[in-house]
Amino acid sequence: MLSFVTPWCLLGLPLLPLIRWLHRGGRHRRAVPVSHVGLWRGSQASPPAAGERRPPDPAWRRRALLAALLFVALAEPQWPEQRTRLTLWVDDSLSMLTREEGQGTRLALALAQVALQLAAMADAEVEVRALSDPWRSLGALTAATTSTLIAGAGRQAASAPPAALLRADRLHWLVSDGAHPALLQWPGDRRPDRVFQIANVTRNVGLERLSARRSASDPERLDLLLKLSNGGNVAETRELAFVTDEGEIARSTQRLEPGASVLVKASMPAAARVRATLQPGDSLAEDDEIALDLAPLGRIPVASDPKCPKALLAAVQAHPALALAAESSASVKAALDCGMQGAAAGRATLRVVAQRAPTRLQGPLQWSSTVAESQRVRLDAEALQLAARLQAGPDDSVLLAAGDEPLIVSRAGPGRLIEAAIDFEATAIARGPEIPLLVNLMFERLLGQPLLDQIVLVDRGTGAALVVPSKRLDAQAGKAVANDAQPRRDLARPLLMLALLVLLWEIFALGRQWRLLSGPARAGSA
Amino acid sequence: MATPALSAPALPGEAELQSFAHAAAHLLIERLPRAPGSRTVRRRVGVGIQHFDHRDYAPGDEVRHIDWRQTARSRRPIVRRFEAESVSDWTLVLDASSSMATHDGAKWRAAVRAAAALSYALLHLGHRVGLLVFGARLIAQCPRGRGQHHYAAIAARLAALQPTPAGERSELGVCARHLHGAASVFVLSDFLADGEMCRDLVALLQRCTALHALQLGDGADTRLPAAGEFDLVDVETGALIRAHAGAQADALAAAERSAMTARLRSFCARSGVAFTDWDVSRPWQHVLMAHLVQARSNC
Repeated sequence: MLSFVTPWCLLGLPLLPLIRWLHRGGRHRRAVPVSHVGLWRGSQASPPAAGERRPPDPAWRRRALLAALLFVALAEPQWPEQRTRLTLWVDDSLSMLTREEGQGTRLALALAQVALQLAAMADAEVEVRALSDPWRSLGALTAATTSTLIAGAGRQAASAPPAALLRADRLHWLVSDGAHPALLQWPGDRRPDRVFQIANVTRNVGLERLSARRSASDPERLDLLLKLSNGGNVAETRELAFVTDEGEIARSTQRLEPGASVLVKASMPAAARVRATLQPGDSLAEDDEIALDLAPLGRIPVASDPKCPKALLAAVQAHPALALAAESSASVKAALDCGMQGAAAGRATLRVVAQRAPTRLQGPLQWSSTVAESQRVRLDAEALQLAARLQAGPDDSVLLAAGDEPLIVSRAGPGRLIEAAIDFEATAIARGPEIPLLVNLMFERLLGQPLLDQIVLVDRGTGAALVVPSKRLDAQAGKAVANDAQPRRDLARPLLMLALLVLLWEIFALGRQWRLLSGPARAGSA
Repeated sequence: MATPALSAPALPGEAELQSFAHAAAHLLIERLPRAPGSRTVRRRVGVGIQHFDHRDYAPGDEVRHIDWRQTARSRRPIVRRFEAESVSDWTLVLDASSSMATHDGAKWRAAVRAAAALSYALLHLGHRVGLLVFGARLIAQCPRGRGQHHYAAIAARLAALQPTPAGERSELGVCARHLHGAASVFVLSDFLADGEMCRDLVALLQRCTALHALQLGDGADTRLPAAGEFDLVDVETGALIRAHAGAQADALAAAERSAMTARLRSFCARSGVAFTDWDVSRPWQHVLMAHLVQARSNC
């Protein structure tokens, strides 16, 4: 049965008589060129008498057809599809890996149910799409597709399907446990045509986020922050343990009410990685453990130059993210060069240039606009001294200058190199905070990353531990819910194509009429 | 906007031309054969070297033309008259107005074929032939010439010409000032204009010794493509009238065309112009032969 998405657009059809009325009278007859109009004077039509009805311009039919096609196309007519075309939307959030009692994961069970349903629809054309990556079609539902979905579950956050993919000419089935309400809020009040929901297990405590940062008081220690949540509907008690490669570092007992979350803090010595575990485990084992790589929080070895000023070496040594290392060390990632060593290829180098006796600055200090306001070190121009004259190339970036005299220059080129002409041995600044701040700024620019207050974390997202369906989509878990929707073929596009053809016909007819009339008219004017 | 190009007219083949020239030769010879016979050939008095006859002297006559021997015999001044040399000069006048281009240029193609055949036959007999093509102005001109090589020039000019599909009026009178000396003039036109171009024919008559008019007609000129109400646009003037098309309208148009032809025929009869109405669906050979025979008999 033909149906319309926006039937009110059909209200434009009664306007078609208006088009005919607008074409009454006027200049609308077809122009015919003749050899001599004197031959036809005997057939000349008299002007219409009062009250006489003149036939309308035949072109009104073409224009009315065009308008009718547009009105009907705007109403979006749809015709029932004979062959079933189906899109299976799969909720691949972490909760779908929950193991039901002695059976398997929710995802595997639901996909098995879908496979049974599809077996009864032999001619159905099925495409599978995961809610975490809806724009990628996984093809038909096969064992390989199932394996792919299970392997990728929980890796990315899932969301409701985009409106552009909810085509009306396809059936849309959903596989979900209903634990995440946002996945059921489809755009445009659309609903799945069928939902496969398996959610019998209602108990779970999961680790949602683990983060680490250097301790502000002791750079050699790390502060940990762990968030665990009770995603079930029963109060739970768990043993929480933090473990490194060296062994367990902390343990605590956590009791959580249903839906509650707890933040747990811990402190640990610097290590390569840390792992948090919950005991005893539950049906969703994947969120009972969380591991965090702490390597980004380790100190960066910097090859030092013994010729460097002591204040400068002390600043590097005191920096929480940097550590002085021997030149021969293989782990060195940056170098501090004060004239004893050249810049090694591929290694970031901070070069302190001292070519002449220190002199006072000749102009005011100016920071480059590329240096953020918060990064600009407050320097006393009277206390600074210039130890060399730097020349900035056209591609170099002058980070700090005194008048027209560059003080810190970031050199362009394949190797990362910053040159500084500041006299770091000047006693006026040796005891202040300026040198450590300048060192931090220059090494951040050299290494291309922030060095202070770094945070590393693993975040599974808020609500990742939820396993209880927010809304029971059916009366009995595991039973499919269907509505009476039927795939329909959209007829608006072919109608628009037809309207386009009529429009081209109209343009052609107008062009021909213009050509017939313009030739004699031009001749007459000439 | 590009105007639709007419198909180039195909000129008659060499065999057709020779056949026509052979058949029309005795109709196109203007000089009196020296051998006695029953054939009557019209001869005209004019400027030339061939002796024609004598007459009494009249004031203004050239003194050098006085025949002293005849004057002595008749005891009054007698002058010699000469046969006009211009009787062997022909000018073909071709209508290239927009009305000749209607209905895929059927009239134009017929006119070009007839002009080519006439020029070939006349040149074959040793006449001098020129060509004038007119619309609202003189569109093309081919000076009088003699010999078969001149036919190639006329044929090339005819093949290159195309009437303008719209906007080119018929002004036959513009050709009058291009007729130099006495000559026979052959006009090929549809004469579809107000007054049937009679005024222009008068202007031509004053500048030539003999005038032929061949009116080309096409049945499609008096038929409309469909029934109903149309805006009829004159391709030459752009004048527009609204008309009801149908069988009755076609009949009225055919009657009007017949009336125009009748008026033109009457004018030509009064003025001594050889006239023929040619429906272009008839072969050009038959029409030209019939016209020449009729013109000969009227001499």
